[in-house]
Amino acid sequence: MNPSLKLALLVLVALEISFTHVWTVNVVLIVVSLILMLAGHVSVKRLALLTLIPAFFGGALVWSLTLRGTATTHFLLVIFTRMVAYVYMGGWFAQTTDPLTLTRSLEQNAKLPSKFAYGFLAAFNLMPKIQAEVSTIKAAAMMRGQVLHFWSPQLYFKVILAAMNWSDQLAAAMTSHGFVEDAPRTHATTIPLVARDWVLLVGSLILVQIGLFVGLP
Amino acid sequence: MVNVSIRNLTFTYPQQSRPVLNAVNASFPAGQFSLITGVSGGGKSTLLKLIAGLLPSDTAGITFNDRTLTAIPATQRSRTVAMLFQEPSTQFTMDTVANELQFALENQQVPANEIPQRLTAALDFIGITALRDRKLMHLSGGEQQKVALAIIVAMDSAVILLDEPFASIDPATRLVLLQRLAQLSREQGKTVILADHDLSGYTDYVDRLTVLTDGQLTHLSPTATQDRLATFAPAKLRLQHVTVPADNQEALIQGHQLSLTANDRTLVTPQNLGFFAHHTTLITGPNGSGKSTLLRALVKLGHYQGEITYAGTDIHRLKRRRYARQVALMFQSAATQFLNVTVDEELALSLKNSFADHFTPAMATQLLTELNLADHREQIIYTLSSGQQKKLQLLCMLIMAPDVLLLDEPFKGLDYQSLQTVIRILKDVQRDLDLTYILVSHQLSGLDTFADYHLQLTDQHFVYRGVSA
Repeated sequence: MNPSLKLALLVLVALEISFTHVWTVNVVLIVVSLILMLAGHVSVKRLALLTLIPAFFGGALVWSLTLRGTATTHFLLVIFTRMVAYVYMGGWFAQTTDPLTLTRSLEQNAKLPSKFAYGFLAAFNLMPKIQAEVSTIKAAAMMRGQVLHFWSPQLYFKVILAAMNWSDQLAAAMTSHGFVEDAPRTHATTIPLVARDWVLLVGSLILVQIGLFVGLP
Repeated sequence: MVNVSIRNLTFTYPQQSRPVLNAVNASFPAGQFSLITGVSGGGKSTLLKLIAGLLPSDTAGITFNDRTLTAIPATQRSRTVAMLFQEPSTQFTMDTVANELQFALENQQVPANEIPQRLTAALDFIGITALRDRKLMHLSGGEQQKVALAIIVAMDSAVILLDEPFASIDPATRLVLLQRLAQLSREQGKTVILADHDLSGYTDYVDRLTVLTDGQLTHLSPTATQDRLATFAPAKLRLQHVTVPADNQEALIQGHQLSLTANDRTLVTPQNLGFFAHHTTLITGPNGSGKSTLLRALVKLGHYQGEITYAGTDIHRLKRRRYARQVALMFQSAATQFLNVTVDEELALSLKNSFADHFTPAMATQLLTELNLADHREQIIYTLSSGQQKKLQLLCMLIMAPDVLLLDEPFKGLDYQSLQTVIRILKDVQRDLDLTYILVSHQLSGLDTFADYHLQLTDQHFVYRGVSA
């Protein structure tokens, strides 16, 4: 499916289930997301993580609400399934969408200004670099007799400084490779946006509406 | 064919009183390979960034065939001038080599159907077709510089600027890049301007040397250029005093069946490897071959297979905090090691946490003066030039005085004068405190009397070189 429409579908459905209380629809969304993730060869470890984290937090929330004794079972069921559904849908999107394809699609199909599209991509590409930087900063500080913990302000100062430095370098690199804000670009790789994508988007949305309508008390 | 001319250019960094460039006049003709040299922190990078239009400033004094960069439409600027940066990994936006090339060509609005062919041609020209679909982050510094040049070739920029592009690159890669640059200037009429403080190996390629001193540029005549380049004769780069450690010599750090890999690529095949106390070991080898990976493994920052022991104990069993006192690494990127804001604060931290009672504030001041940093005590570290940062980093790590100091390219970006001073200070401290140095350096001049052992990494194997003791 076209990444931009996929993103739109995700946001719309997530918004809808935020305002409606139909746990059966949430369950269907969880099952569908799971099937799509399995079809997309998402690793078992990832799936386990995606299940355990919302199950833990959802469970904690349900437990605390039960203790207060004001919430109905239906409400608890909705809250729990909604949380898992969010994470599963997010997981489906994140695990089955290539960031570069999404960037190109946002630029070409959604007509997002290229500086936002490529800014997003650059930030994404920076993630592993930040992780590596944190462990390097900690080690380097230890070699100067300073122990940095994850709550040490100095650690954040260093990481922010590094990130600011990278953003300057990145801006220079993009300029040097001919990137000009708001200037037209050509596209050697075009991201197709075909009737099938629209059918999938509209079809899915209709199905969710029917589910919500039927399921409403 | 684009001629670059600079008229009456003055540039001062904000919050600094002295201009880095003072009423500079110069011209760089098309079809010539010009080399700019000067001390580190002298303004070479600033000049190149100004020419490239990467610094916000009034650059009316810089013209390309009598047009200023601002007079050229923004989308045409990358066809006029492009720059290759000192730090190889910081010049890319995309994930893979092909995607980055495609990004650059799309920015230039090259018709989509021409892009694949331009991309292939550029990779062919530099000889890196095999790297096409590799992740940029997984490439070595030398490979990244080759990619960066391939992008400039693909963009067909008329003026090619290079800022210390060979700072951490092995001689073989450097030679390939120099040959291609000479070819670009001679056969395709490109204007090549390269800044480097290290003048070795340029004789056959460079047309003209320009010296930047005290904010002023001086062009040398062809004869003067050749004379100056000859002072960097390769004869000085030989290590004649290194010995091979004796077989029965006991090692302080010992690798047992040690092997190194990076991104599924084998760097070093399993071998036993020892490092010896109170000596200086110099490690050399092609870039990307695993020297930095070895240093990171020695301080428990990288993955390795096999076992590394320190004084007989597996380093995995040693507490990180305690081990950091014994074996510390001076990182290749200086900024990594700084924790404060000003030069003075940074020194104070090292003096406070030093593992030895050797250094006094007066000694630190003395060393600062020797390193030409005494005027910068109140300055924010991140506004120092890369060479100045390197010197400060070295000083901070020396004051810490760990038993074993690992140095990853400690001389990167240093001019000849600073290099001499730094080596002398390293020797003095080693003599006084009986330290052990293990250093990785591509810069070999001046190291002959410093290194005791020379460990060479070739064909995925470390071997000690030199005469038998």
